[in-house]
Amino acid sequence: MTIPMWLCIPFAGLLFCIAVLPLVKGEWWESHQPLVVAGWSILFIIPFGVLFGAGTALETVLECLVNDYLTFIVLLFGLFCVAGNITMEGDLAGSPRVNIILLTIGTLLSSWIGTTGASMLMVRPVIKMNAWRRNRSHILVFFIFLVSNIGGCLTPIGDPPLLMGFSRGVPFFWSLHLLPIMIFNMVVLLIIFYFIDRKRYCRDMARGRKPDISKPGTKIQIRGLHNLIFLAMIVAAVVLSGILPDLPMFQDAEGHVRGIHIFKEVSLSFPAMIEIVIILIAAFLSFRTTDPVIRKKNHFTWGAIQEVGTLFIGIFITMQPALAILKGMGADLGITEPYQMFWTTGVLSSFLDNTPTYLVFLTTAGAIGFNDGLVTALGMVPVKVLTAISCGAVFMGANTYIGNAPNFMVKAIADENGIHMPSFFRYIGWSLMVLVPVFLLDTLLFFR
Amino acid sequence: MANEEKNLRELAGRIYDLDEEVYRELGSSLGRVFNGKKEDCIEETVRMMHERNQAHILRNELALISNMARTIPSHAARHQVMAKYDEILKEVTELPTSFIKGDILDEKMAQLNTLNLQARFGEQDHLIICIGRTYGCGGSEIGFTLADTLKINYYDVEIFDEVLKRLEAEKASVRDKGGYPYKKGAADSRQYINEIPAFAPTPKSTLKEKLREFNRYHGLPKKDAVFFNQSDLLCDMAKREDFVVMGRCADAILTNNRIPHISIFITAPLEQRIHRVMEVRGVENEKKAQRLLAKLDKAHIKYYKYYTGRNWGKARNYDLCINSASYGIQGSVDLIMRMISSGDTQ
Repeated sequence: MTIPMWLCIPFAGLLFCIAVLPLVKGEWWESHQPLVVAGWSILFIIPFGVLFGAGTALETVLECLVNDYLTFIVLLFGLFCVAGNITMEGDLAGSPRVNIILLTIGTLLSSWIGTTGASMLMVRPVIKMNAWRRNRSHILVFFIFLVSNIGGCLTPIGDPPLLMGFSRGVPFFWSLHLLPIMIFNMVVLLIIFYFIDRKRYCRDMARGRKPDISKPGTKIQIRGLHNLIFLAMIVAAVVLSGILPDLPMFQDAEGHVRGIHIFKEVSLSFPAMIEIVIILIAAFLSFRTTDPVIRKKNHFTWGAIQEVGTLFIGIFITMQPALAILKGMGADLGITEPYQMFWTTGVLSSFLDNTPTYLVFLTTAGAIGFNDGLVTALGMVPVKVLTAISCGAVFMGANTYIGNAPNFMVKAIADENGIHMPSFFRYIGWSLMVLVPVFLLDTLLFFR
Repeated sequence: MANEEKNLRELAGRIYDLDEEVYRELGSSLGRVFNGKKEDCIEETVRMMHERNQAHILRNELALISNMARTIPSHAARHQVMAKYDEILKEVTELPTSFIKGDILDEKMAQLNTLNLQARFGEQDHLIICIGRTYGCGGSEIGFTLADTLKINYYDVEIFDEVLKRLEAEKASVRDKGGYPYKKGAADSRQYINEIPAFAPTPKSTLKEKLREFNRYHGLPKKDAVFFNQSDLLCDMAKREDFVVMGRCADAILTNNRIPHISIFITAPLEQRIHRVMEVRGVENEKKAQRLLAKLDKAHIKYYKYYTGRNWGKARNYDLCINSASYGIQGSVDLIMRMISSGDTQ
């Protein structure tokens, strides 16, 4: 089945709406997001159905909704709920030094509780500590760079593409090899951040802004700490979703993962169901056991998760042609060098879901027939190539708001809490000015 | 809109006619403001009225006409011309782009920072005088004498000491970066000698001390925590009493908090400052004194820029700039007192 390029127009159209409508028709966009998403999705489904038949169209849509979107949004929902039930109170004042400490903690946490988990856990304290400042959107931009993306490269828990690699035979702790690259990126970005933040911090002081530090000594109180148990439950569920499909008890005689059959080839696997159930139980218990006052203090609303849930359902559906084209073309792209892998995986991960993108290039690399490297289920892949694919998929998700799920969540939460986040294009401007030069350095140092 | 244009043309025509009348009375066209064709001159004047950045030219031209009008020998004719001039000037000042309303007076600043003292201080406001000064210009003595003359409080290092109390910090671990040490009531010029110089580098601390400081200062750099506390303290004090405050970016802090005040900057030529530093600090070597002053000025510029975003010592940031070498300490105080008295703020 050859998919025509023009079927990617609805995906481009949806991205265009996400980028432009908040700027030109903000209020209308806020109230009509589901309509726009439905419109673009139908504009993909109907022509696709006409070309390949209604059954295939339904199968494609169900496939992406059941196997990709459902687990994606449930994980996001679970982490959003649990992190929203933990609050940090105190009079630590947001300054360049404090922000660097927070970003470092968040970055280092990302690999162990996932980029989404770390983002949800850290975003509110960062916003709270910097509440006294006027110029603070850049802090959240660097937060997305580091905590929501780059920090997640060390383990399969960190970012879904690595989990996919783990289920394809890449050892669990292999990603720790990326530590020097992550440290390099983190240090360079934090240095850049320090100078930008210092300049803006001075501007805030010059305008007469000041934090409330009238009482001597800093008092920090974290409430809802028991929710860390539920956070661990969610992390365990994610790990299980990578391990269980390989166990014989979850496979049928043909080696397919068992599950509930839905339509044609689409079925909801048992490991995915276990993951979903564990996450929902964790979210439920978190709500039942936490004082509602904590959520009130966190300014907890459903707005952010609703927005992400709505937009990403459209993104997941409309990007199917682009992913299918990529799958078909992967082997023909002639990409063999690590730097090529890094940039191609990265640029595509900036706009498409980074998990299938990672898988396409891992498959491509495995099929090239390298004689030396790491043995995976997809073939032999040289360590440098695997490193480039992993870093490209994880790091460059930071290039756009839609590159990685937590990016948009952080943006939505920040917007809700009085921070005027950069528009879609302005954010890309930040990426071009800050991230791309750092990635060029990565290419020179690690992927030549 | 058409009416407005017509009015402007009419006004420009009257300015032209006034100029013509002045020179007719004087019997000479030498130095006449409007020399070209009447229509062209009116056109040019209307354009100036429209453009804010051209207002100063119109002001100069009106001033020229009035200067010439004052030289008209006939009293009656002079009186008649000046009456017309006053009327025109009044109308010009009421224009939306008038030079008086627009190009000199910054309305926002004027509420706080011009010599418009009568309008500046309300009945509930206290008289607060912020003095910035270069080291060795006698600024501290001027500030102190001024406070003494006005019988109001003088604050310098006292603010810093109070902040340390608030922060529960030991003086040995924090340097006063907000000003030069000058103790109220100190006996003589030797008061400086045993003080730690302003802007001296902060002593190095151990990791344990750093952690303790991180907690004490809410994660902020020590100097920033001190600055924020000084800001709070100054604003609190401004609600309670009249005072003179030396340095500490007080002018910028009060402006940001919309608290009426008078800002003064005092300096003196380098030679005079060197001599004074050698005398009061007991610095024997002239080069050493010069180096000390250069270092202190540099540190002060940096400090002021960091916390206020403004350039320290730039005339535009102050109500009054004084070269203390021209007036001496008492002369400078008298000058400031004259300014305050004319504003009748008491």
